[in-house]
Amino acid sequence: MGVYRCIDNTLLPVLKTGLTPSASGSAYLELSPSAYTNETSPSLVPSSPALKLTCTVHGPRPLPRSAPFTPQIQLSTHIKFAPFAARQRRGYIRDASERDLAVHLETAIRGIIIGTRWPKSTVEVVITVLEGEEDRWWGEESRGGTTGVGNVGGWGMMNVLAGCITVASAAIADAGIDCLDLVSGGVAAIVKSPQSGKKLPDGDTDMAGIEENNQWQLVLDPAPSEHQEICAACVVGYLSARDEITELWLRGNIPGTTKSPTNNSQPQMAGVGELVDKAVEAAVAVRLVLGEAVREAAELKVGQNSGDR
Amino acid sequence: MAYPPIAIPGQPLGPASQYASGPGTHIQNSQVCASIIGTVAECAQYAASGKSKVGSGKAGEAPLPVLSIQRSAQSASNDAALTNILPEVDAVVLARVTRINPRQATVAILVVGETVCSDEFPGLIRVQDVRATEKDKVKIFSSFRPGDIVRAQVISLGDQSNYYLSTASNHLGVVMATSDRGNTMYPISWKEFKDPVTGATESRKAAKPF
Repeated sequence: MGVYRCIDNTLLPVLKTGLTPSASGSAYLELSPSAYTNETSPSLVPSSPALKLTCTVHGPRPLPRSAPFTPQIQLSTHIKFAPFAARQRRGYIRDASERDLAVHLETAIRGIIIGTRWPKSTVEVVITVLEGEEDRWWGEESRGGTTGVGNVGGWGMMNVLAGCITVASAAIADAGIDCLDLVSGGVAAIVKSPQSGKKLPDGDTDMAGIEENNQWQLVLDPAPSEHQEICAACVVGYLSARDEITELWLRGNIPGTTKSPTNNSQPQMAGVGELVDKAVEAAVAVRLVLGEAVREAAELKVGQNSGDR
Repeated sequence: MAYPPIAIPGQPLGPASQYASGPGTHIQNSQVCASIIGTVAECAQYAASGKSKVGSGKAGEAPLPVLSIQRSAQSASNDAALTNILPEVDAVVLARVTRINPRQATVAILVVGETVCSDEFPGLIRVQDVRATEKDKVKIFSSFRPGDIVRAQVISLGDQSNYYLSTASNHLGVVMATSDRGNTMYPISWKEFKDPVTGATESRKAAKPF
């Protein structure tokens, strides 16, 4: 823990499994973009928020008495932001955006679980967001952070979802539930590039290879607070061993594909396919950390078992 | 012998033409792949199941070795070593009788095989499954009492909530029982338990102790 791993300038999370003894499987994920960017910031306050997620898996458990017979495992997912997770305080009851994230997560997870191995069972995946990214961070208004879709449920949600997918996959593997593969989440976005040659914040990778005057660029792992404007973003849940996608969430308009006065003169820079490809690329990078964390958990368990004998 | 010692979900272990898929694995792109984390084990296939397996190929060929993944203790910090295990058909379980009526005994399954379950599974022993002979004369009331610990075999996954169990074998039946007075009793025959304090006997469907 505490070591931020970085490959090709892509942000990689810190991931650890088995932290909640009472759950059958658990994992913790931390992603801290500010570790890269705070040297340039004059303020002590981090320029962008960290993402801290804890996930517990309860089950497989027998079905409740009232439930009908199911030959497959029943999956339920819950995502809750802690009241202190973001600057805007959250309530204790799940709101619409949290339920929406849970549905996206369920789609991503359902695709990897081999449900028929656990008939008449339920499994609950519970994620608590301890610190979640929001669109703006302290003082960003003056520096011009994203003016986006609003404070709650904005672009930051997509990063949260990608983290949730990764952490849930680690926790499910820790719980010993049969999976086809590990699923990792990745985000890519098309953002307005900083004007007048302003340097991109570290941690974002300039992927487009664009000319000087081009206004838009593709980034992996966008931090909404660091970009003036995000116009489209994409989250994928990717199985790298099988080269399959279980979850795809696209949002926004891609410049060049819509009639917008700002980019009439520009060549079409990126299509949906390119955006999805970049999100997959981000997911592949995260998969390295995920695989390593799960392997560590496996080695720990095996070592513990042989020690018992 | 190419497979890794420890596997994580999705990791290929070996070609399906050389290995058969056992517990904890699945087949993807004609590769046996891991489904859970744990140590990889190879064992010779049972001769009986070898014929029915899809992977064993032509008749007369030697059965393929089975690759399986050993389920290890859950949550690394949990020293109780509770594992997630489901009762399967033919598994021998230990269960506590919770409720009886003339048609069936309701039980809570506590142990599957050698593994302590983290959750109790509801089970049912119907009157016709209590013993193998003279099924029409069986009375639940003289076979089980609430609180008894019963060794039983799973015969079906059952309905929405209950697993169906059977004690129709010599080694199956009540293994621990307490008398009306609350004393732990010992079995004196296949159908009787004795209270060591009062000397009274109560009827049970006793499991053969050894």
